[in-house]
Amino acid sequence: MKKRSYVLALLVMAALLALEAPAAAQTQIQEIRIADSKGDWGYPNPYRHYPRGPGYIRMSWVFDTLVWKDREGYVPALADSWSYDPAKMAFTFNLNPKAKWHDLKPVTADDVAFTIEYFKKHPYSWISVEDIGRAEVQEPHKLVIYLSKPYSPFISDIGGTMPVLPKHIWQSVENPGAYDDPKAFVGSGPYRFVDFNKAQGTYLYQAFGEYHQGQPKADRLIYVRSGQPLISLTGRQVDLANIQPDMAEPLKQKDLVVIRDERGWNKKLMINHKKAPFSDKSFRHALAFAVQQQEIIDKSHRGFATPASYGLLSPDHDMYNPNTPSYPFSPEKARALIESMGYQKAADGFYQKDGQPLKLELLSSNITVAGQSVADRDGEVIKKQLEQVGIRVDLVNLEQATTDSKVKSWSFDLAVSGHGGVSGDPRILNEMISSKYGAGSVNSARYDEGQELNALLEEQMVEMNEGKRKTIVYKIQEVYAQALPAISLYYPDSMSAYSPEKGIVWYYTRGGISKGIPIPQNKMSLIKKSDK
Amino acid sequence: MKGNLKSMRRGHYTVAYLLAALVMIYVSYSVPRWLPGDFVTAMYSSSHVTLNAEQEAGLRAYYTQRQGFGQYLVDFFTLRWGYSYAFLTPISKLIGEALPWSLLLLGTAHLLSMVFGFLAGVEAAWRRGGVIEKAGVGSMTVIEGIPEIGTAVILLLLFALHLGWLPAAGGETAYVTHSAGQRIMDIGRHLVLPLATLFLAYLPGNFLLTRGSMVMVLKEQFIETARAKGLPPLRIRYAHAARNALLPMVTRFGLRIAFMLTGALVVETIYAYPGLGTLLFNAIAMRDLPLIQGIVLFSSLLVLFVNLALDFLYGWIDPRVKYAS
Repeated sequence: MKKRSYVLALLVMAALLALEAPAAAQTQIQEIRIADSKGDWGYPNPYRHYPRGPGYIRMSWVFDTLVWKDREGYVPALADSWSYDPAKMAFTFNLNPKAKWHDLKPVTADDVAFTIEYFKKHPYSWISVEDIGRAEVQEPHKLVIYLSKPYSPFISDIGGTMPVLPKHIWQSVENPGAYDDPKAFVGSGPYRFVDFNKAQGTYLYQAFGEYHQGQPKADRLIYVRSGQPLISLTGRQVDLANIQPDMAEPLKQKDLVVIRDERGWNKKLMINHKKAPFSDKSFRHALAFAVQQQEIIDKSHRGFATPASYGLLSPDHDMYNPNTPSYPFSPEKARALIESMGYQKAADGFYQKDGQPLKLELLSSNITVAGQSVADRDGEVIKKQLEQVGIRVDLVNLEQATTDSKVKSWSFDLAVSGHGGVSGDPRILNEMISSKYGAGSVNSARYDEGQELNALLEEQMVEMNEGKRKTIVYKIQEVYAQALPAISLYYPDSMSAYSPEKGIVWYYTRGGISKGIPIPQNKMSLIKKSDK
Repeated sequence: MKGNLKSMRRGHYTVAYLLAALVMIYVSYSVPRWLPGDFVTAMYSSSHVTLNAEQEAGLRAYYTQRQGFGQYLVDFFTLRWGYSYAFLTPISKLIGEALPWSLLLLGTAHLLSMVFGFLAGVEAAWRRGGVIEKAGVGSMTVIEGIPEIGTAVILLLLFALHLGWLPAAGGETAYVTHSAGQRIMDIGRHLVLPLATLFLAYLPGNFLLTRGSMVMVLKEQFIETARAKGLPPLRIRYAHAARNALLPMVTRFGLRIAFMLTGALVVETIYAYPGLGTLLFNAIAMRDLPLIQGIVLFSSLLVLFVNLALDFLYGWIDPRVKYAS
């Protein structure tokens, strides 16, 4: 009997130990190191980070927004719940009463209302608060934001992007860009900002123990600059890094987890549609028929990409229109269109009109994708393809800033360019098509000639009903692909790798973090509550 | 009378250098402005932020410098070198943070490659026609032909990836608690690979130059005289011959100073090593005008200063230079 109870006790102990096992996996991680090839992305506060994805991500550890996205979609951040009242054109947010600033003062609705007013006075370029009428604080943790007109990307652009500022610190700051007091980095996010070493391109964050969603999984979060992610990852000097697709297999063999992003970044051919012959839609169609997307992918990217939709939105987007007009490779159709414009082939095999050769300049440069400068041979392949049709091409390889400035001032014919956000909020269509929204972008086609397109773009911005908005967005893709002011070429494969030993699961966020940032450094990965 | 002539010469000398400095200040002021593009376009072109016309105009007005050269000069001499657009940090602070890393890596690489290149060149010339000289010239010519990027990749693959002995990136392990000794060791470990890459890049030039100069010097009559006097070979080699072969090396060192601070960009990039080269590269990519101007000015004035120092050093190394002037 004694022996039996002894065995029973042992079994109970073993069971308890087994139950303890998952808890062991939850033990606090000392530090997480993330590699970055550039290193410097500015200081992590709204006014001092670089206006690029990696800059925003560095800030997002320190400053929380009202809502956030995890791998499933929108989840509470500072706001526990939210709702929209179409009659009042108002969003109501109930804040988490446990939320605290890093100086341990409570986060209140007053802070959110103050942030909106502050951004109206001192604009933060990531968000536009011009469609917000006023913010009304109803209770210490409840506020209503009234819109001056319907604004469909509100949750994405404001709720999920606007960092909330502590009123007690910023109310006395008149020049936010020059404000470099340590208090400028007091946020309510899961990590406190500790250091940014500009020479070394390193960042140090310390876990905020009082974070309202629980103690972050790792005590310290460190960004280091590394030009060789493959070596840094295999040597376990870093835990997470962006990688080139060809590194995936060797890294898997070294027991690293490789993750792949959805198609959220597209390379495209910018066209100067303000000058002849590019101002003629037929010529733009001819260019599209002459360019073979798959050949660019195979020859320039060793197959690590997928052909793009001519309607700009990614096929992974919920509002992607599968019936968007397309231009499958057809040199015959390209030639027919060019000849319909009065061009004839000369003895040298190239087109000419009235004795003038059809000759254009193609600008090419290494484009920055998610913070990485990527070298490719796109320009060479496109030149060859256009010359096969009979268009003489002068390929000019330039440094990116020079190409950008030429595109910006319309001093170009064709230019290879690219941008992300095509799997995020469809507002990207407005930004990448219309000069009203994208005048400052070198990736925007800035095409305002299509009356129908302009009207549709305006319509989708004020349509708060998701289903109706989808119908409009479908139509925009069709009309845009017919007008073709720029030609989307392909979506490059975007991958990262991480070591699973510490138990952190990194992932690419659907539609990108915030406004569409295709970087797998979602802060929810380090918040215990998010474990599914 | 002689003293007056000497001080007049010194005066002319100083005026010439001051004029050169003024020209360099003007070049550093004007040349970066010729770069196509501006900070706003460079910063926002690949951004997730899409500016509308009003936002863009506001930013451009804020970041477009309309400072005249006169004001630039005044600011320069009052040590107000301005703020970096991107970092929103004083230029002097940024240069001050990056400079020690550049000096550590490039200074050590130059110094080691100069000393070893010089010694090896002297010894090879002394053994002219022998196996050691032939092997030395052959191997150095081969190494000279390998670009820095090739050496760096080979060293990285071998010592960082396969053997795992040395770190692949950075100047030191970020944010670890070290004692002073441990920190020095850590910095040393991070320094080995980039230093070896640069050492191998600079060594052959120094070796071949010294060997060439030495071969010429060894044909001189005073060397024959020294040999005839029965002086020990070591003394002939170094006290008589090598000293006379040193001038071209010193000139080379002075010329390379121009590249010393900003010229190791490839190596700095591959090893993610902090330094002025990386700082300048990023500043140009972002069209951070005040920072570009600051680094260009600092580097060019340093070149001027080093050349001035070398002018005095020449006279000390080889008194004939002093008498000739």
